Amino acid sequence: MRPAAQGGGLDHFWGSRGDGDDGRGGNNSFTHEALTLKYKLDNQFELVFVVGFQKILTLTYVDKLIDDVHKEFRDKYRNEFQQKGTLGLLNGTFDFKDDFMRLLRDAEESSKVRAPTVMKTFEQSLKSQKTVKCMIETRGEKPKEKVKNKKNKGSKKEGTEAVVAPGKASAGDKQLSTAGDREELTKDEILQKNREEFFKRHMKAGEKSSKSPKPEAQKEKGKKPRVWDLGNSNAKVLDYSNSATNGSAEACPVEEFDPDTALGDRNREPGRLYDLEYESDDEAEEEKVIQNPSKPSAKKGGLGGMFGMLKGLVGSKSLTREDMDPVLEKMKDHLIAKNVAAEIAVQLCESVAKKLEGKVMGTFTTVTSTVKQALQEALVQILQPQRRVDVLRDVMDAQRHHRPYVVTFCGVNGVGKSTNLAKISFWLIENGFSVLIAACDTFRAGAVEQLRTHTRRLNTLHPPESHGGRTMVQLYEKGYGKDAAGIAMEAISYARNQGFDVVLVDTAGRMQDNAPLMTALAKLIAVNAPDLVLFVGEALVGNEAVDQLVKFNKALADHSMAQTPRLIDGIVLTKFDTIDDKVGAAISMTYITSKPIVFVGTGQTYCDLRSLNAKAVVAALMKA
Amino acid sequence: MAGRLEPHLEALRRELRAPDPAVLSVLLALLAVAITLLIWRFVQGRRSSRQAVLLLGLCDAGKTLLFARLLTGKYRDTQTSITDSSAVYRVSNDKSANVTLIDLPGHESLRLQFLERFKAAARAIVFVVDSVAFQREVKDVAEFLYQVLVDSTVLKNAPALLIACNKQDVTMAKSAKLIQHQLEKELNTLRVTRSAAPTSLDGSATGGPAQLGKKGKDFDFSQLPMKVEFVECSARGSKGEEGDADFEGLEKWLAKIA
Repeated sequence: MRPAAQGGGLDHFWGSRGDGDDGRGGNNSFTHEALTLKYKLDNQFELVFVVGFQKILTLTYVDKLIDDVHKEFRDKYRNEFQQKGTLGLLNGTFDFKDDFMRLLRDAEESSKVRAPTVMKTFEQSLKSQKTVKCMIETRGEKPKEKVKNKKNKGSKKEGTEAVVAPGKASAGDKQLSTAGDREELTKDEILQKNREEFFKRHMKAGEKSSKSPKPEAQKEKGKKPRVWDLGNSNAKVLDYSNSATNGSAEACPVEEFDPDTALGDRNREPGRLYDLEYESDDEAEEEKVIQNPSKPSAKKGGLGGMFGMLKGLVGSKSLTREDMDPVLEKMKDHLIAKNVAAEIAVQLCESVAKKLEGKVMGTFTTVTSTVKQALQEALVQILQPQRRVDVLRDVMDAQRHHRPYVVTFCGVNGVGKSTNLAKISFWLIENGFSVLIAACDTFRAGAVEQLRTHTRRLNTLHPPESHGGRTMVQLYEKGYGKDAAGIAMEAISYARNQGFDVVLVDTAGRMQDNAPLMTALAKLIAVNAPDLVLFVGEALVGNEAVDQLVKFNKALADHSMAQTPRLIDGIVLTKFDTIDDKVGAAISMTYITSKPIVFVGTGQTYCDLRSLNAKAVVAALMKA
Repeated sequence: MAGRLEPHLEALRRELRAPDPAVLSVLLALLAVAITLLIWRFVQGRRSSRQAVLLLGLCDAGKTLLFARLLTGKYRDTQTSITDSSAVYRVSNDKSANVTLIDLPGHESLRLQFLERFKAAARAIVFVVDSVAFQREVKDVAEFLYQVLVDSTVLKNAPALLIACNKQDVTMAKSAKLIQHQLEKELNTLRVTRSAAPTSLDGSATGGPAQLGKKGKDFDFSQLPMKVEFVECSARGSKGEEGDADFEGLEKWLAKIA
């Protein structure tokens, strides 16, 4: 909320993210038009830091910058946050601009000073990398890792260049980015050198363990097994290729099998080893990564238990990830057991963790209750409609403008599109609107007959005599095998001429993977521009919900010619009476589309149409 | 009567006069407990007595700026709120009455959640409307206002309601009169569509118990249990960001309800 970095589009950021983390906080970046925004949360002091920059710039230093700013800002105003209330915050001046500019300028200055040398080594290293790579490839090994690294580097460089080229527009950004890149590289180099040293020491000690992961990693990536027949020597082969860059490219790996010489080489020419080091670096990093997680767990096992529990109960302390992990794991399993798609359960827990990390817990609250509370809030928020959907209100509007209100139903086979269409038309008729049903399912046998039966029944329930001689519901059908989009269009113009208030378009069920049918659906929607596109999904669906909705949305987006494609506007959740308290599908569907559940089908009769009650659903979901 | 009590009183007097610390300490302890209970009751009672003035409204209506202006008098650049902020507001007249101003976020995915949390403490509600964008937003404004008005807690407590038509410094701003008229019309429509909406899952009809206004009559704000006032204001002020805000009406109203 405070200016960590200025940039336009912040409002849109807040606007569309809701609160920056509305349970969808899978990653912490967000793109709006030409801007990319990255944010970081400080839960302890309730701060949000946002950095905005041109989307086309691939700024690698943003994360570091945001961390720096976060630390600096927090340290500077720590007391203000802790002591003063809102009034203090309002009155206080958080003049951080100078500090922020200083942070940036520092980076700039230092990079400028170092720039020439840095660039030199960088280029050198790039060159040497290339030669090494070639040699290795001629040797017959293809450590892909290396190639990848090189590519990264190349792209990085391209990035900086690209920045320089069009950069006349925004000078500040440009400089920043170049400076950042350079700095990064130098830091990388330093790090690498340090790691080299470390690695060398290990090698010298003759530890097989440090070597062994290396060949393994390469084996996975290597394409040509032939080389590996040489035995354990692979690691050294690489080293030798490196030394070979210095000397003759033809150097035979078998000859230079001795690890000590390789080490010596490295010592002598660290600059060139740089690229090769990348591998060893990566391996070293991998090792570290592997080692790291084991440490805390061991610690926890030893001391954790009772002490942690007592500490958690008494006094306020800030939540850490380790505290939450077991609870989150349990929550995740619970959600999955309630039929929330696994992927979404994971993301939800992740975002809850992010939201809570660093937050100070009150006295007498356990981690479990805190996490539960946060999760519950997140769930309610997900189910809260992001868009006002009041069908009756919109129908009234359309009626005033003397045009029919068009609703299209889509979904996979057998979820209850036609049945719920009939229920909705009953509800509309009850409210005094006349309905035209367009039978655009020209594929399935009996689809038209099904709708005709519904029409007849609805007409008996609401005979024209009780509505001033107006036929309340009528079927528009053109038989089977015709083009659905055409029928829909004819139906809409028919409805306009005959003065119907609502057109309900029933489409054929289709699997989300069936490309031709999805294209046809997209065409139907693009051509007829319905007022409301409803996706009909059954509450029984589990992990499949994600796939269905994503693919339907994608098909609609891909095949639409319009600038802003027409996507799904709302969801009809059917067969809700069959699932007891396993209501996870509701969460899965709204999470993916962030569209509201407009209707819920709960039974066999025309009256079994409900609206969703977010609280009830969340209560059912959280119930043990 | 008195004669019969005489021996008892005598006994009591003797008892009290006796240098027995046990009885005295017990009595003292009981007294202390009683006083503590009383104080606690008092504090609790005070806390539950509704002291908060909620600032509600859609995004970009000017709630946070109004909040800052009321508290500090200064102009501040604001961002879309993601959480509530509250502070004690000292009303301008000589009475030393305080209210707690609470600024709630207006984003649609957050506002109901926060309303839920604070509605019980509401002594009064300031519903901020963007008078410039009103024509465009009228449906959303009405929907949110409807949700506030039909809430059972709000209906029961009937906090005073002020609809602040903000941004009057802009030339194209709608007048309070027009906004009132439009809102009444829109709420009337909403009343119809909401009562016709399908019942919600747990069986309680959404429009059932919470009927807005009088049945069979076109809705107008005088039918509500709470007192509704409209006021024109401008948090930014006509003199720009350096000048003061123009919200005497709002300040007066706050002084009245405090």
